[in-house]
Amino acid sequence: MKRYFTDIYESVSSILGGMSITLVHLFKARNDNVTLQYPEEKWPRPERNIGFDHNSYNVIRSRLHVDMDDCIGCLKCERACPVDCIKIETEKAPARGEDLKEIKHKGVTSNGTRKALVVTRFDIDMSECCYCNLCTYPCPEECIFMTGGPNAKKHPIDYEFSEPDRSDLIYRFAKKGAKEGLAELNNSKQEAEA
Amino acid sequence: MGVVHGQEMVLNIGPQHPATHGVLRLQVKTDGEVISEITPYLGYLHRCFEKHCENVSYEQVIPFTDRCDYLASMTMNFGYVVAMEQLMDIKVNDRVEYIRVIMAELQRIASHLLATGVFGLDLGAFTPFLHMLRDRERIIDLFEMTCGARLLYNYMWVGGLSHDLPKGFVEATLKFLDYFEPKIDEFENLLGHNKIFVERTADIGIMPAEVAINYGVTGPNLRASGVNWDLRKDNPYSVYSKLDFNVPIGKGIKGTVGDSWDRFYVRLQEIRESVKIVRQAIDQLPKDGDVHQSMPKKIRPPKGSIYSRTESPRGDLGYYIESDGSDTPYRLKMRSPAFTALGVLNEIAGGWLMSDVLAILGSLDIVLGEIDR
Ligand code: SF4
Ligand code: SF4
Repeated sequence: MKRYFTDIYESVSSILGGMSITLVHLFKARNDNVTLQYPEEKWPRPERNIGFDHNSYNVIRSRLHVDMDDCIGCLKCERACPVDCIKIETEKAPARGEDLKEIKHKGVTSNGTRKALVVTRFDIDMSECCYCNLCTYPCPEECIFMTGGPNAKKHPIDYEFSEPDRSDLIYRFAKKGAKEGLAELNNSKQEAEA
Repeated sequence: MGVVHGQEMVLNIGPQHPATHGVLRLQVKTDGEVISEITPYLGYLHRCFEKHCENVSYEQVIPFTDRCDYLASMTMNFGYVVAMEQLMDIKVNDRVEYIRVIMAELQRIASHLLATGVFGLDLGAFTPFLHMLRDRERIIDLFEMTCGARLLYNYMWVGGLSHDLPKGFVEATLKFLDYFEPKIDEFENLLGHNKIFVERTADIGIMPAEVAINYGVTGPNLRASGVNWDLRKDNPYSVYSKLDFNVPIGKGIKGTVGDSWDRFYVRLQEIRESVKIVRQAIDQLPKDGDVHQSMPKKIRPPKGSIYSRTESPRGDLGYYIESDGSDTPYRLKMRSPAFTALGVLNEIAGGWLMSDVLAILGSLDIVLGEIDR
């Protein structure tokens, strides 16, 4: 008999307890709103401090970007990647540290390193990438970074980069026609010598 | 009149079933509504991580540990780096240790919030699940602030951290804790003392202490059976010995010790303890200290092997690393706490009704990513 009444009491009180929480939320609905109409409304992105100042650096994970003018083709990022989604091919430059206008190759990086190699292929397959950020740490020229990195104005942080075709997710950073242009350059040089 | 036995029927639950917490197939033998035998079939989420780790260098293993228990990546990282540091005999400074503890405990809160919320969801309580997910989101925002990633962090490195705490992290964490503490009582009232929930979980799926120990069950599941065993207390690693916290154990408040309700309640109490730990760790956090100080240039441990264990939200997480002196592990084995928890399912769920099996499975809080690896 006692059990019967405690059961009723507990049921009613637990329903009332739950309902009172609902009631509180009903009146605070405006302040407590966690649902957003996604494509129109978005969460504000957290305040980020990005750049190369390590004391006030917020790491971000987004798609990768490479500043090709600074890349010396040292392959350190390729070796650091655990899933091997970075593919780099390099060729010897005709002269160390010299610009090649024909293929838009810059000879000297912004850190002042003189390049000995021309990067003819720099592909990152973002559909394979696991966003571990391991490739960005060893780079000696700090030229591979998650977008929104050192040049946040030029590359805004962007989490929404779906593509209709999988092959569009392979980002090709090497200068267009670098391989053919370099071969042509070498050919014409050989001809001139001959 | 004796009991009428009908024909036994074999029934498959899963692999594509939301209540199986991943992709798990349970083959159950039923006699009407009563379950006589459960056989779990694994391997649907097997991604060869242990084998893959043999082909990548020691730093590159960390992203793979993330992906094993994807609901508690920080503690997976933590276990691995603790094992590697013991193998290589590295001592990290106090700032690193405290940051690691803060991250691990925040992760424990996030993981338990999801575990208890989903447990309610399995039993049909949708509202508490949304409340808990809402607050878990705030913890994940803290992690995003720290390392950019929301789920798979790759934050703890061998001999240090990938980078220091960002500016404003401590304030944001304290603000979150102030907001969060009253919410724990709200969860307890909303779900824990709800009559329907209690009826569905109390006295259901009782796991006696002997059974738990025999099957090697660890973590909150073991503590719910009344065994006071927590590696943070009993085999302290990192700076846990300097922190003051209790180990909640199951007392059988609503039914018997070791029932599903106890497993739920122990997790809820652990959330409270973790809040306490985070507060203390933030108080004691040293102001200076380079997080890269003891990081080796090249990770090349001496020949030998190590087995080290840490307390993950799911229990006793062990790493066995065999090194042959090169820069890739010769063998890396993880001891998964969720695997043993799943092993005990047949023992404790046999004889219960069909609908109780999902309640018991939910109370064990398994993550299939960690079981299959
Ligand atoms: S973020 Fe990780 S997976 Fe992606 S390219 Fe860099 S190293 Fe490879
Ligand atoms: S590490 Fe940097 S400089 Fe070297 S190849 Fe990669 S992007 Fe280029």
